[in-house]
Amino acid sequence: MPLLTVHKMSHDFGGLRAVRNYDLEIEFGQIRGLIGPNGAGKTTIFNLLTGIYTPTEGEILLDGRKINGFPTHRIASMGISRTFQNLLLWRHMTVLEHVKMARYSRIRYGLIGAFFGTPKRHKEEAEIEGKAYQLLEMMGIRHLSDQVVLNLPYGAQRRVEMARALAAEPRILLLDEPTAGMNPEELVQIMEIIRRVHGELGLAILLIEHRLKVVMELCRRIQTMNFGEVIAEGTPDEIQNDPKVIDAYLGKESVI
Amino acid sequence: MSVKATIPRNRWAAFSLVPLLGWLCGALIAAILERLAGTPLALALGLPKIPALFGIDIMLKKPLLVPNAMLYSLLIYALPVAVVAGASASLTNRLAARLFGFPIGITVAIHLALFYAILHLWAGVSDYRTIVLKLTLIAVMLTLSLNVINGYMGEFSCSHPGFMALGAYCASVFTVGLFVDDRFFGAVFIPPVLGPFLFPIALILGGFLASFGALFVAIPSFRTRGDYLAIISLAFLFIVKSLIENLEFVRGPRGLSGQPDWADLPTVFLWAVLCVWSINNFVRSTIGKALNAVRDNEMAAGAMTVDTRRTKIVAFLFAAFWAGIAGGLFAHVLRYVNPSTFGIQNLAEVLAMVYFGGLNSVYGSIVGAVSISLLGEALRPLEIFKWIIIPLLLILVMIFRPMGLIAFKDLDVRTLLRPKRDPGGEM
Amino acid sequence: MGIFLQNLVNALQWGSFYALIALGYSMVYSILMLFNFAHGDIFMVGAYIGFGVSIGLLALSSSGVFAMPNWLILVLTLLFSMFLTSFVGMIVERVGYRPLRNAPRASAAITGLMIGIILETGNLALLGARRISFPSLVETTTYEVGGVFVTNKKIMIVLVSLLLTLALHQFVRRTKWGMAMRAMAFDFSAVPLMGVPVNTVIALTFAIGSALAAAAGILFGIAYPVLDPYMGILFGWKAFVAAILGGRGSILGATLAGFLLGFTEIFVAMIFPSTLRDLIAYSIILLILTFRPHGFFGEPYSARLRL
Repeated sequence: MPLLTVHKMSHDFGGLRAVRNYDLEIEFGQIRGLIGPNGAGKTTIFNLLTGIYTPTEGEILLDGRKINGFPTHRIASMGISRTFQNLLLWRHMTVLEHVKMARYSRIRYGLIGAFFGTPKRHKEEAEIEGKAYQLLEMMGIRHLSDQVVLNLPYGAQRRVEMARALAAEPRILLLDEPTAGMNPEELVQIMEIIRRVHGELGLAILLIEHRLKVVMELCRRIQTMNFGEVIAEGTPDEIQNDPKVIDAYLGKESVI
Repeated sequence: MSVKATIPRNRWAAFSLVPLLGWLCGALIAAILERLAGTPLALALGLPKIPALFGIDIMLKKPLLVPNAMLYSLLIYALPVAVVAGASASLTNRLAARLFGFPIGITVAIHLALFYAILHLWAGVSDYRTIVLKLTLIAVMLTLSLNVINGYMGEFSCSHPGFMALGAYCASVFTVGLFVDDRFFGAVFIPPVLGPFLFPIALILGGFLASFGALFVAIPSFRTRGDYLAIISLAFLFIVKSLIENLEFVRGPRGLSGQPDWADLPTVFLWAVLCVWSINNFVRSTIGKALNAVRDNEMAAGAMTVDTRRTKIVAFLFAAFWAGIAGGLFAHVLRYVNPSTFGIQNLAEVLAMVYFGGLNSVYGSIVGAVSISLLGEALRPLEIFKWIIIPLLLILVMIFRPMGLIAFKDLDVRTLLRPKRDPGGEM
Repeated sequence: MGIFLQNLVNALQWGSFYALIALGYSMVYSILMLFNFAHGDIFMVGAYIGFGVSIGLLALSSSGVFAMPNWLILVLTLLFSMFLTSFVGMIVERVGYRPLRNAPRASAAITGLMIGIILETGNLALLGARRISFPSLVETTTYEVGGVFVTNKKIMIVLVSLLLTLALHQFVRRTKWGMAMRAMAFDFSAVPLMGVPVNTVIALTFAIGSALAAAAGILFGIAYPVLDPYMGILFGWKAFVAAILGGRGSILGATLAGFLLGFTEIFVAMIFPSTLRDLIAYSIILLILTFRPHGFFGEPYSARLRL
């Protein structure tokens, strides 16, 4: 059974149909790409998958179970995690706190532990902290763990966001333009991190990207969207040569 | 190894080596000194009696006595504390290190007992001091609980006086109705000796009622944020006040009096400690940090498995609970309560304490509450000019430190109680 | 029916005060995304300035130097007080709000609250606690229209309020400065890039809002001649609620909501015992806000008092 199935999903904003008949099937361990010009509906798809919007039509099935209309936090705890195009970090919190927060749904010590500082809570918090440090280590930002994110350089902030998304132990990771605003050096590092994350943790990854080089290298299968619809789907080679895709981008190539 | 042998160039640096235990001992000696020799000293210095609040009131009423009052404060407070703390630093550091080895609960209990002893001795000088201290402790509870909503969760809530009112009236009805007269519940016979033991129940019931009231602000907060929630909380404030004014059952605007005298200093102190402890625990836990996540970006919080609705409800109800307890204590300290206490002026005061002290901060709330309360009392001789000085002070703080004096600082018990190492690495 | 109409007239008068004050809140909020908590106290200051000006003019008139009919004194009082109070508003902005332009809005809100307290205390310090009687400048003539008694005062108050609101509306719609205000309300950061003096526009906004509050204060003094330093708290906070109810930055909304609040209070007092007035009025408002959080004419834009 596929991990995530999306069946004929459409979504309207008022009178505007932003997404039309979107289909998707992802299995464990697959990396898929989602490309398309600005405004094509890619981020909207992410918002639909993570429960920020409830689709007007269609179904989203996680492990064969319909998750339409589930609140965001529940979908997140069921295994779908994401990063944001515009880096939605918590400006007053430290790096460590960011990564620990994503473990929220797994906390067992409850309010009693929170108010009264029970041994159970201390034990669990220590575990959470341990796991958080592991992830920070993996992202190469452990030395920044006590820094407030407001003060960090952009590249570090991107890693914090990815570490945070991973802390929720997702089975599917949705990455929304993870390389936006990066220089060539950072780009290589991020791609390496994505490969490692995919390799070591075996996640399914759905990647929105503008840089075609990144998508072509990382993804085995790519969907191209324009005006809310998938206009082409296939391997990187197929997509590169598809006239509809070229037309959608008006023949422009993204700067790599 | 005595402190003398390691005196650094800068003599003030020596004080940074004093552990908390040392300061407490110094303060204890000062308090004892005041009890034993305070009156004779004051009279000898030309003061009519022991100055009530560190001499500030006398300095304001009779400016000629300023040097006398300052001398008193120096001799009774500043000097003994500094000398004892400094001189005993090596001893207290060793003691602190020993205590640090015990389970943290015991170490904390010992420090708290010392602290209480200081407060008890200091307040014992006069009834006035006792009331001021009790009201200050209550102010700490109010400020900290409001900070949970306004600072940690970043809302602008105006409903705190309402929560306080609910707690005050509920607790009062309970105690008056069961132990004072039969106008509420008819003749109920409970042996009066049980009274002080049932007082906590009265307070907790008040807290629960306040939490219930908080639902009316928490639930709208699911859909509205920021400014609109401010209005809703304001409407809540007016509604509670108006509700009480119209309830003949509690004598409306005439107010309720006759509460039993059960809010003594140890009781108020214990509740304040409980409040600070539980709120500090909460905000340091990951569940508590969720408040920050919801504040800084609610959408991201949801995407990271945080149940934002549960977070908001918990924050509001927990904060309201403590405001209710504070209200109940307040009613029993003054032994009178009426609805006009819980209006806009109260709101302005408690908001001032939170923003002055520091947002998202346990230290900040304690500092803010103590400063504004004591300042308010100390400046009493200035009468209404008090209400020009305090707002001006707050405006200055807002301009230069918009988040308050000590923002984003929670209590870390281990750091607080830790013995201080000297630069040579010896203790 | 007669009672209903009678109360309608009262409600129109009562609502006029709220509407005029609410306009000031709404204007400042639309541009600075900030609630000026000192505004209610500016209403109070306006009333007191009006008192001072009218007393002065009356003295001038009766001393024979420059005799004026009462209606002229009233008009001059209104204009002159509005002018003076606008300066109070501008000073408040310059001293309290401008330093905090880039600070979290909650801090600015607290500053406003504190300024309000200083205004109240200042008044108490200067004039003492006794209540002041606003001089009677208008002789009460009562007209009877179909069983309903309407005084000329009430008519005048409602008319003046509507006139001022209309004037504001025209100003905002037709003049260059009004356009600047609307532009800033729409997109604050783009406006200085267009060469518009931001500080001047903001000062103007405060000035106009305060002038309107002063007008409300004087009209209030005419209707209910007893002034006290805390009158701002009562009216200010309620008008604040009306401004929100009307929707972010909407002139029409603030006016309508002000009248609605007035109507609600008067008619609730008509049906229920008067002590329940606040309780029921606020419960209704709470209900409306729970289901329509952005007010009547506001956009569903989730404004935050950000740290």
